[in-house]
Amino acid sequence: MSEVDMAVTKPEMMKSYIWLQTADGSIQQVEQEVAMFCPMICHEVIQKGLGSSKNYAISLPQRVNPAMLSLILDYCRFHQVPGRSNKERKSFDEKFIRMDTKRLCELTSAADSLQLKPLVDLTSRALARIIEGKSPEEIREIFHLPDDLTEEEKLEPLKNTTDDPRIRLLNRLYAKKRKELKERQKLKNVEVEEERVDDRSVDDLLSFINGDGGDSKGIKTSKSKKKNRRRKDQQKSTSTNEAIKNHNKELNGLNSVCCSVEIGQKSWSGVGASSNLHDVEDDIFASKNELDDGEIDDEIDPALKEKIDREVEDFARRLNSDWPERMQEILSFGHERKPVHFSLNGNGSLRRYASM
Amino acid sequence: MMFSFPDEVLEHVFSFIQSDKDRNSVSMVCKSWYEIERWCRRKVFVGNCYSVSPRMVIRRFPEFRSIELKGKPHFADFNLVPDGWGGYVFPWIAEMAGAFPWLEEIKLKRMVVTDESLELIAKSFKNFKVLVLSSCEGFSTDGLAAIAASCKNLKELDLRDCEVDDLSGHWLSHFPDTVSLVSLNISCLGSDEVSFSALERLVGRCTNLRTLRLNRAVPLDKIANILRRAPHLVEFGTGTYAADLRPDVYSDLAGAFSSCKELKSLSGFWDLVPAYLPAIYPACSKLTSLNLSYATIQSPDLIKLLSQCPNLQRLLVLDYIEDSGLEALASTCKDLQELRVFPSDPFGAEPNVSLTERGLVAVSSGCPKLQSVLYFCRRMSNEALVTIAKNCPNFTRFRLCIIEPRTADYLTLEPLDVGFGAIVQYCKDLQRLSLSGLLTDRVFEYIGTYAKKLEMLSVAFAGDSDLGLHHVLSGCESLRKLEIRDCPFGDKALLANAAKLDTMRSLWMSSCAVSFGACKLLGQKMPRLNVEVIDERGPPDSRPESCPVDKLYIYRTVAGPRFDMPPFVWTMEDDPSLQLS
Repeated sequence: MSEVDMAVTKPEMMKSYIWLQTADGSIQQVEQEVAMFCPMICHEVIQKGLGSSKNYAISLPQRVNPAMLSLILDYCRFHQVPGRSNKERKSFDEKFIRMDTKRLCELTSAADSLQLKPLVDLTSRALARIIEGKSPEEIREIFHLPDDLTEEEKLEPLKNTTDDPRIRLLNRLYAKKRKELKERQKLKNVEVEEERVDDRSVDDLLSFINGDGGDSKGIKTSKSKKKNRRRKDQQKSTSTNEAIKNHNKELNGLNSVCCSVEIGQKSWSGVGASSNLHDVEDDIFASKNELDDGEIDDEIDPALKEKIDREVEDFARRLNSDWPERMQEILSFGHERKPVHFSLNGNGSLRRYASM
Repeated sequence: MMFSFPDEVLEHVFSFIQSDKDRNSVSMVCKSWYEIERWCRRKVFVGNCYSVSPRMVIRRFPEFRSIELKGKPHFADFNLVPDGWGGYVFPWIAEMAGAFPWLEEIKLKRMVVTDESLELIAKSFKNFKVLVLSSCEGFSTDGLAAIAASCKNLKELDLRDCEVDDLSGHWLSHFPDTVSLVSLNISCLGSDEVSFSALERLVGRCTNLRTLRLNRAVPLDKIANILRRAPHLVEFGTGTYAADLRPDVYSDLAGAFSSCKELKSLSGFWDLVPAYLPAIYPACSKLTSLNLSYATIQSPDLIKLLSQCPNLQRLLVLDYIEDSGLEALASTCKDLQELRVFPSDPFGAEPNVSLTERGLVAVSSGCPKLQSVLYFCRRMSNEALVTIAKNCPNFTRFRLCIIEPRTADYLTLEPLDVGFGAIVQYCKDLQRLSLSGLLTDRVFEYIGTYAKKLEMLSVAFAGDSDLGLHHVLSGCESLRKLEIRDCPFGDKALLANAAKLDTMRSLWMSSCAVSFGACKLLGQKMPRLNVEVIDERGPPDSRPESCPVDKLYIYRTVAGPRFDMPPFVWTMEDDPSLQLS
């Protein structure tokens, strides 16, 4: 039953009507108080003076088809009456919202385009309840959505890439170190130390850089401070700060010594990527080919190499200290500064950034 | 045909979806939902802090305001995880401090929190509102002082079951005059030093205070003053509830309790003396939650108290309540949903109280809404378990701890397989189960067959062979956490069900029969798992590969192996091509 009929049969009612046109071209008139309940319509009437006649009907947004308009007007017709109790309104809403999901979606969209917030909330909540408790497959079915996430993305959608050339170099050095240790194992048959080195790849690497040019005393000092590692962390944290400062200094110095090509003069603490030791592992696989390019040998002085070997052995023994813990502190300390300021060297690193 | 919404509309729909599970489902629907969801996720939950790196979380959810992290495995509560294992929160705080100055809430469970971390929180997050530390350790009241002083918008400070170095009560005075706490839980603070005046002043000016849980050091005669300053309290935890009976103190206290018309939950009650118990009677009729796990009162007094609490939904109590008390509970508290009965003397050889399976059967029969049970007792029968199962098909959590390992059905001397089998068969919504008593592989067959919604299973001193473990891993579709100790489970079941481990949060096995070789193999084959061998005896490769490892903790992760391990923890290598052999 349309409003037009009512208007014709009861002229004495003297109601005002607003003319609305839906995207399909059809025009209808609606009681003013009902239509004005929609902010969008209200705006068109007041700001643009539209809707007073058939020729100046308000063009409703495309998302409002006649069926949806009818529903929305039913909603408005009920709620615009001021005298109703909350209980009545709630009861109406509960019955009103019972419809199939497709219509519910259309209604949400239509209500949104008319800026009818209470109805948007009502329909949104209803949609949320439909979604709750369902698996992704079920949700896809209901809303006819494509299954376009890759297996990898489903696991960890933002793929973790190594964005720091220093890590890549360290990985190469690490891989080389492993090779060397493997040789040494065959000679010396020292299994224990190796196992340690295995698990603490980056630690090992940083330690040999550290122990090399830096102040090995620094390591010893922090070790003695933390001799009693089983005591409360509270005590550790004060010595941690100290250790962090020492190591940052040492690492800075070393970077310029052995890794000048890739790393340059930037400070180690600027590396944001270092938290992702997972990156390290990733990169090991990626850079396996680079192992053989001989570049690394050129960068490490043989005398240094000797010293490094000794340090590694020595350090593997000292891995009974709390090094890993401090390492984590150090690496996380570096995160406070964003990697944004880090400038890129060479195409390799640029490519990695782009893939992020 | 896909119905297209504008993004804002979809975001609005998502705003009504708050559970982590649902948010995760939403994000896995399709690319566009994934993108929209990730920008509007406000609360992030990370069930295992080593499963993902803080950086990844921040990158994926650039707008979150609240984070919840869990660290050590659950068995840490039973001292099975050695000190220093891990679970440090500092890297997370440091990462978020730089990227997220607008962070509002941090909730941690079983993590190591240092004063340094607390100070960093205080310094970095200007709008910080909520700090909940549950079973955490590693910090002192100095760290708390920093939080108190700097977090001007702090609303909740909850330190439940933490180990805090209580250096001084002065930290309470660091709260500025403008702070308006809604919730304060300091029940774990151990020292006898409490600055009562600071506490009273603080309570007085926090006009919105709804939850206040005091520590043991607050004596009974101070409670009245505090309660009077917070008449709108909904949850209250007393300190020591013992003193010589004095009429003036008593009437003061009773008056204070009656003036708190909104009290729904009470706890504390250390060293409870029955004489002062009636003082809380005025509040009892509205009580929905009562924690008497520190109250050493006997059954008759408990019965009298419980008879005053018809609306009780949650009760934590010592086994002093005895079967008779539980029978009274069953007849008075028809709304009971959760019951926890703790042992008063777990290490005694003989039972010191008359608490048996009868008490639990009575409650299961009298309380139709019962959903969650933790029950310590010394004897059980299959018959009782079957009755309980049939009485309460709505159980979501059932944890039974028969104190002596491998205790058989006391009536038939048989294993309790059938009893627990009934539990999993009748309680179709069971999410959490703890087993005890004499159990064979049979019980695991039942569990694998029926417990399809089971998410967490705790097993100790049970089973005969690998078949038991195999049943669980292959049958329990919803399994997320499995913790096992002292069971004869070895390599076969674990390796055969390796793929299952990718679908679970974690697996803990200690004092079982898993060999080091199997651990290495598992580590090699499963790149998305961290296979941690915890062994304080020394490096596992100093023993033959067939030697069983002491403790094994396996968890899935996208962050790779961690590097903050102590010397007694080894992570098995991920890739065989990197093996040095």
